[in-house]
Amino acid sequence: MSIGVLIVEDEPEFLNRFSQAVRSDANLHLLGAVASGTEAMALLNDVAPDVMLVDLGLPDIDGVQLIRHVAARYPGTDVLVVTMFGDDEHVLASIEAGATGYLLKDTSIARIVASICEIRAGGSPISPTIARRVLTRFRAGPAATVPALNSAPATAIEASPLSVRETDILRLVSKGLSCAEVGEHLSISSHTVVTHVKNIYRKLAVHSRGEAIFEAGQLGLL
Amino acid sequence: MPTVRSRWRVALAALVFLCAVPRAALAGPLTLTEAGMVLSDAPTVPHDDAPWQRVALPDLERRPQPGRSGAAAWYRIDFELPAGGAGATPWAVYLPYFYDGAQLFLNGEPLVRIRGSDERVRVRWVRPHLVTIPEPLLRPGRNELHVRAALPEGRALQFPALSIGTADDLQPLYDRRLFWQRTLPQTAVVLSALMAAFILYVWWRRRQEVLYGLLGLAVLLWGVRTLPFVFEQVPMNLWTLWRAAFFAALAGFAVVMALFALRFAGLRLRWLESGLWAYWAIGPAAMWAGGPGAEPWVDRIWGAGLIPIGLMILLLVAWSAWQQRTWQAWTLLGALGLVLIAGVHDYTMVSNVAWATRLAPVWLGHRVYLLQLAANVLLLVMAAILTSRFVQSLNTVEDLNQTLEQRVADRERQLANQFDAMAQLERDRAAEAERQRIMLDMHDGLGSQLFTSLSRVERGAMAQSDVAELLRRCIAEMRLALDVLAPSDDDFRSAFGNFRYRWEAQLGAAGVHSTWSIDAADETLQVPAHQRLQLLRVLQEALTNVVKHAHARSVQVRVASDPQGLRFEVRDDGIGLRPDHAHAGRGLHNMHARAHRLGAELSITDASPGVCLVLQLGAATALAQMALRTPAAAAPLQSPRSSP
Repeated sequence: MSIGVLIVEDEPEFLNRFSQAVRSDANLHLLGAVASGTEAMALLNDVAPDVMLVDLGLPDIDGVQLIRHVAARYPGTDVLVVTMFGDDEHVLASIEAGATGYLLKDTSIARIVASICEIRAGGSPISPTIARRVLTRFRAGPAATVPALNSAPATAIEASPLSVRETDILRLVSKGLSCAEVGEHLSISSHTVVTHVKNIYRKLAVHSRGEAIFEAGQLGLL
Repeated sequence: MPTVRSRWRVALAALVFLCAVPRAALAGPLTLTEAGMVLSDAPTVPHDDAPWQRVALPDLERRPQPGRSGAAAWYRIDFELPAGGAGATPWAVYLPYFYDGAQLFLNGEPLVRIRGSDERVRVRWVRPHLVTIPEPLLRPGRNELHVRAALPEGRALQFPALSIGTADDLQPLYDRRLFWQRTLPQTAVVLSALMAAFILYVWWRRRQEVLYGLLGLAVLLWGVRTLPFVFEQVPMNLWTLWRAAFFAALAGFAVVMALFALRFAGLRLRWLESGLWAYWAIGPAAMWAGGPGAEPWVDRIWGAGLIPIGLMILLLVAWSAWQQRTWQAWTLLGALGLVLIAGVHDYTMVSNVAWATRLAPVWLGHRVYLLQLAANVLLLVMAAILTSRFVQSLNTVEDLNQTLEQRVADRERQLANQFDAMAQLERDRAAEAERQRIMLDMHDGLGSQLFTSLSRVERGAMAQSDVAELLRRCIAEMRLALDVLAPSDDDFRSAFGNFRYRWEAQLGAAGVHSTWSIDAADETLQVPAHQRLQLLRVLQEALTNVVKHAHARSVQVRVASDPQGLRFEVRDDGIGLRPDHAHAGRGLHNMHARAHRLGAELSITDASPGVCLVLQLGAATALAQMALRTPAAAAPLQSPRSSP
């Protein structure tokens, strides 16, 4: 079964490059390659991509908004955010919006294909900085702060939606261990590690949605 | 009944009334102002044929006949029992004062004996006397009361105008006089002792407050002076001492008050103070030397000297009141005036000054001592003044403390503000320095690479693959900078992990297997952000060389802490160093320059197979010192590909 890919990228150079990468692999087929958010939204009414590559700097719609839209409407679609430097601020915002992976713009064509296949296989990449940031986000979230009124130090961790295993993975990755080493450390395969990472990303998206609702409730918007 | 002869006598009578001295005299009881008197030693009532003479009562100047001593005076007082007899309540005789011993007879029968002085005890009664008359002794109609009064030695006998009436009528008179003339002085003595102890204690703790010391002394002396109102019987052998003490206390009180007034007026006249003390010593000394016989002289002559002292006190206080215009000074003046008036009053009363006796015979006949009442008022006023001074000084201290606290708080706030400003300045400076470092880094690194490359591309001296390679380097450099300078990450382990995360993939793609290890505790891995960037750039250069030139199959990256500090090692299994290789030479130069900026030692050795690069970073303190070194002073970086 081939993987349907939709590419949203306003820069023709990279649009071509990603399209070329998708076309180069028999397991992937290109459902569309568009340069704006509106076009992407329109196309989404007709096609249901398995993987969507989204650039954040779109001319019409904020890439993060588009990601949020897709994640809410098409839960079966994996969103890979395209970033220049993999700087955690952008990546984290995308993950919170619902992306489950990210691609660097200078990634080689072979690596692009591999990344698409990996995310479809259920695994997500994670860098130490992002792991650290994700950990922080969960600790600082509303789910943690509200019961923290009971003020047991363990409460914050208990209140976190992450499992113990997931927390361990994040902690080890943030310490600079590779996925393979984390797997060794926890006696699981590296494939299991990246699956955990994908789950973590999903939880972060849900978590931040809950946080948004919580904050809206606090502001009297709901 | 007293004969009221003029208006001011009415006024005096009113004063008498107010002072609650026998006011009932006009109503029920008979006050007897006439008596028969005969000087006689007879132990029983003298016959009617004795040389009785009529005297008016009070008889205040009764002395023995010249040349005779130890004699007594007999008084005979007639009174009529009203028609209807004595009635239900018993009758009594009231003597408002009777300082010496006496025997009372009614209708020839002994009634009572008031103890007098003898060889062992000297008596001076301050209390009034109320003698109840047994019913059977009274006769209807005319009755005769005889009093045998012992004539005191050295002074005159004072025989009061006594009252006869029902005990119910006389009791209040007795009670009142007892209260004013005896109970009150007794209370004053006790209070004086307590007050003196308290005030002198305050003074003992605060010697510089001389006014407290003087007040304490005055109160103490006044207490001593009032003792005769408490002890009416004194052993004969102590009598002289007793009187000497009385005069010493009285004059001492006046002298201390004078000193108080001088200090109060802010005057320090040593000669006057010495003179006052000298005068004070005369009276008691004369008493001591002259014995009881000296007392009248001391009382009249030396005692009279106290009046000018009192006047001086009054003038001094009046002067200070005029100067200070405070309620304290005016009140003190008022109280002193009262004391002076009372003193003069008592003096004239005791001395039987002729004109005064003529002026107010009734009032002086009651012999009410006023000085001890007025002095109590004066002492209370003085205590109030000093208390108010005490409270005032406490308030001043409190105000002072508050002002001080306020000032300290202000200064603290100022300091805090200054500190904040300094901290802000420091932060700004640090941020400025950081910006400079980043700018310099971009200028020397990325900038110079881009400029030289542009020049080479323009003259067609760069192959496409070289340009791609160059751009990759630039991107990698930027990425590294972004990673390391990200504000959220302040941990070397995490930065190194990111570095590894990127390079592991890159090395893998280039077919180089990499192994990474960190063998250092967290606390030894404290590397500031800007040093982190330089450090990782050196490693990046090294790994780039491995990928590009080494033809290696594997590379080991190790971080370890040792006593010298942190040690970074990159060891590959490639072809080793080629001294003739120009590109590698430029790369090496850059690495050395960065190592120099870090204050680190860099060694690159041929390990055959491959190359071993070791970067040795000093201990944390050395690192911190290096951080202060300005980047401008360091060697400039060169583009690794500045020439073909």
